Amino acid sequence: MSAPLWPGAIAAGLVTALGIAFMWAENEWEVVAVLVAAAVGAVVARRTGWLEPAARAFRERESAMNRLAILGLFVFVAFFHDDHFPLLMAGTVLIYFLVCLGLTIQFGYAGMVNFAAAAFLGVGCYTAAVLTAHTAIPHLLVLAIGGAVAALVGSILILPVLRTRGHYSAVVTIAFVLLFKTFLEVNDTLGGPQGLKLPSMQVLGWTFNENFSVAGVEVSFYMSYVLVALALVIAAFALTRRLERSWIGLSLDAVRLDETAAACFGVHIARWKIVAFTLGNFMAGVAGALYALMLGFIAPTNFTFGDSLIMVSIILLGGIGNPWGAALAAAIVVVLPEKLQLIQEYRFLLFAALVILVLLYRPGGLLPRQLRVYLPGWKPR
Amino acid sequence: MDAGLLAQFVANGLMLGMMYALVAVGFTLFFGVLDIIKFSHGDVLTVGTFAGFSTYLGLQALGAANPWVQVAAVLLVATGSMAILGALIAKYLVMPLKSAPPLNILLVTLMLGTVLRECVRLFFPDGANPKRFPRLLPDDAVALGNFNLRLDSVLLFLAGLAVIVAIHVLINRTKLGLAIRAVAQDEETAKTMGINFTAIVLVTFAVGSAAAAFAGVMNGLYYSEINFGMGLLLGVIGFSAAIVGGLGNIYGAILGGFLFAALQTVGAVALPFASAYKDVFAFAVVIAIMAWRPTGLIAEKTSERV
Amino acid sequence: MSFARTLLAAVALALIAGGAAAQKKEVKVVFIGPLTGGVSVNGLGGRNSADLAVRLRNADPKAKYKYEMVVLDDECKPNVGVQVATKAASDRSIIAGATHYCSAVAIGTVDTYHKFGLPIVVWGAVLPDITYGNDYKEIHRVNGTMINQNQVNAAFSTGQGFKKFAVIHDTTDYGKGHNKYFSENLAKHGGTIVGTFGVTADQQDFNAELTQIKSLNVDAIYFGGLTPIGVRIRSQMEKLGIKGQFVGTSGIVSDAFIEGLGPLAEGALAFREGAPVEKLPGGQFFMQKYAEAKYAEAPEAYGAFAFAAMNLILDTIERVGPDRRKVRDALNKVNNADSIVGKITFDDHGQNTVAAITKYVVQDGKWVVWEDSEYAAGKRKLAGK
Repeated sequence: MSAPLWPGAIAAGLVTALGIAFMWAENEWEVVAVLVAAAVGAVVARRTGWLEPAARAFRERESAMNRLAILGLFVFVAFFHDDHFPLLMAGTVLIYFLVCLGLTIQFGYAGMVNFAAAAFLGVGCYTAAVLTAHTAIPHLLVLAIGGAVAALVGSILILPVLRTRGHYSAVVTIAFVLLFKTFLEVNDTLGGPQGLKLPSMQVLGWTFNENFSVAGVEVSFYMSYVLVALALVIAAFALTRRLERSWIGLSLDAVRLDETAAACFGVHIARWKIVAFTLGNFMAGVAGALYALMLGFIAPTNFTFGDSLIMVSIILLGGIGNPWGAALAAAIVVVLPEKLQLIQEYRFLLFAALVILVLLYRPGGLLPRQLRVYLPGWKPR
Repeated sequence: MDAGLLAQFVANGLMLGMMYALVAVGFTLFFGVLDIIKFSHGDVLTVGTFAGFSTYLGLQALGAANPWVQVAAVLLVATGSMAILGALIAKYLVMPLKSAPPLNILLVTLMLGTVLRECVRLFFPDGANPKRFPRLLPDDAVALGNFNLRLDSVLLFLAGLAVIVAIHVLINRTKLGLAIRAVAQDEETAKTMGINFTAIVLVTFAVGSAAAAFAGVMNGLYYSEINFGMGLLLGVIGFSAAIVGGLGNIYGAILGGFLFAALQTVGAVALPFASAYKDVFAFAVVIAIMAWRPTGLIAEKTSERV
Repeated sequence: MSFARTLLAAVALALIAGGAAAQKKEVKVVFIGPLTGGVSVNGLGGRNSADLAVRLRNADPKAKYKYEMVVLDDECKPNVGVQVATKAASDRSIIAGATHYCSAVAIGTVDTYHKFGLPIVVWGAVLPDITYGNDYKEIHRVNGTMINQNQVNAAFSTGQGFKKFAVIHDTTDYGKGHNKYFSENLAKHGGTIVGTFGVTADQQDFNAELTQIKSLNVDAIYFGGLTPIGVRIRSQMEKLGIKGQFVGTSGIVSDAFIEGLGPLAEGALAFREGAPVEKLPGGQFFMQKYAEAKYAEAPEAYGAFAFAAMNLILDTIERVGPDRRKVRDALNKVNNADSIVGKITFDDHGQNTVAAITKYVVQDGKWVVWEDSEYAAGKRKLAGK
């Protein structure tokens, strides 16, 4: 009854190959060639209807597809096992994806705008920096504390965020992210504008910042961070998916679509908004703590309004509420500007123009969220 | 604190508030007719100012050196070209996305802002550097103790006031204003009453963008300096001011603008901590105000117009 | 640089170098600086200058290798900086690099360079800790630190009779560092600071700060920050009728400062590390070649350092061959090397110790070396005297 798996497998394989090719491309012609191939491939697949079986596989054979996606990522990192830069980029993409999973819960499910994602990422970063410098708390625990502190700081904003809606809510979070960055710069106790250094991450006596070898093959030290990031992303992804499917997700959807109606049916609006906001900030905080450890250095200029906008553009480009879309968009938004280094000072101009084009021609994002499937085989009429 | 100093702070704050108010009025007009936030507003201001600056350079090259002629031409070109740009943005970027989620418009206009800003930086000759904006107004000054009042500041303030009054009259006393208000209140009903919806939206965007260009030129004349990033912060502050005052209400925008200027001045001057914290202070107060009055200080009459 | 310009440059190079270049071994070097964002002026000026060094070398028939300069944008953000530093450092075909204008980026990336063993020469960042905060053999710097600059500044300013200062600094590491070292040194020379104001790097309006400064009746205003807000502060001082002397740092020694202010710039003081480029024979050569290359942007304050840094790297590669370790060791031993910014000698931290500080004053729309100015000769007077 269920859809065949192979179209999905082919799609996952192609995306992986494309990712490797894109990362591998060095000069302008190679980059352009890979981009053109990807664009043409996507259009052809849509026109010929080849995309539909793959989409069905994603919908109906989800757990198998999840495994395939993870496998694809493993192929990617195995291919670049001793190449530091692609692994750093892979780690960065995963960390941004983790933040965007949090934003998916906030924007996509509960319909709460949050333009302060960079600030909550920053709270996680600074928590990790302070804890690793002054305490001997195990680093895995530091990640969790980073998330908890971000959630705690977020609770300052809960009252104004709960009381306001839409654009009014946006201004609260924008004000917060501007305030956060200025505060970090002015206040010297947290390193001021010069930022803070972090030591290598250590788990069970294993120092992350050293290359290691597996069966005689030298592996980049970034591999350790990528694997931790991957583990966190898998956990967060599973949580997000489960949340969406559960009655909590149903309540959140109701809150987003119509607060008044939801309240009439007994959905506790404030409660679910607080849950979504706190959970999203927690994820951003965890991501931040890992990001700080991976980079080894943080400074206030990493946490500007502009950085928040990058996160928001990821979820909009991917398609609000669809974690798969966020994954794809995170990869594009993080890696594309990096590849545009070739055009140096013109790259932001081009990047902004590309985002406008995508949103004009695909207002729902690259992979819009599908309608909720209540029963196996159920189709919306 | 002596009276001269106090007067100086008040005068500076009023001037700053006037600029914020002019930007905020644009945000509130756009929100009124379309329920959207157009974030490229600040960068439209920048482009307008640079258009005005180019006009000045052109006049200078042609030998038309009368400062009053120059001021008039600079203002005319800046506001006129930005009115057109504003209408174009409305027609080709905002209207097509009218039915998309509001966040999309926000992001698209933000990205458009980046495009405009980067274009000024990269394509205006030596655009990455600050430019000296000419002094076109008489700069006689009166010094009363610590208070230094300059004629050009007074003229600029009065001109800003005149623009705000003009917009007020346009909205409240003309047939066009009636149409704008009708569209703002109910798009469908306005359409059935024979109002050309698209035309009204375009006109509103033109008016708002022209006001921003005016604020930009005012900024240039006041500070004698312009740069490609000037609109970024003015845009964010103008947006915050419009929100704090209450969207869709031009009095709210004016109130918000002056309030924000007051907060910054007080933050820099009258508080016991270092002046560098003044933005932290101003934004913290904004958050507090939003918690206290969730739909702005002057709340919209209809509770939610979604 | 657009594709078209890259192509043009490549064609031009091929024509100049002729067939001989084809047989030379290709060696890659990297330039990193801020090419986008608020301080991109300096990044672009630095990039052009470093590019000029490479072009001149490739045009030289005596050069042993053919050089290719990889250019990366750090956006003046530490996280992006670590990314591009990793990219450059993990690419084994890149032998060395001239890197970073922003101190926060440079301090964040030194670990990366050390870890991957890429020898670099900092061309613009002035924070002392970049070289002195570690023992990394890979890190060098041709420009001086903000300590040297402020020692000279404090001594000179008090010597000119300015005793009572107000300080405005931006809240980046650049401005805060300058504030710190200037305050320390001014106290040693008997000057006092009656008010310190931190401002954000994108602030437009300084009236609130300046009005307070006005009521303090200072002899001079010390400004620690870069050109854009320097221009704003100086012109708003005028608006409020503040008569004190304007004393700046290396961040305002740029043509843009003068263009942005016009006649108002007259009499502004500033200090920069390195011998005055204009007076050294190599410096004139640099200015002339830069003008000939017709770059769209001016070299700005640190262009000469970027040129000197890249040139030093190329010299070293020519001498010891394209090998990171050898280049690193040779760079550590650089002693009394000629450059367009004066002699370069690296101490055991890789810091250029011959950090002569040049005093500048704006006279008739130009940055003039103090000793040559009419102010020093007594024909004109500084403000606030």
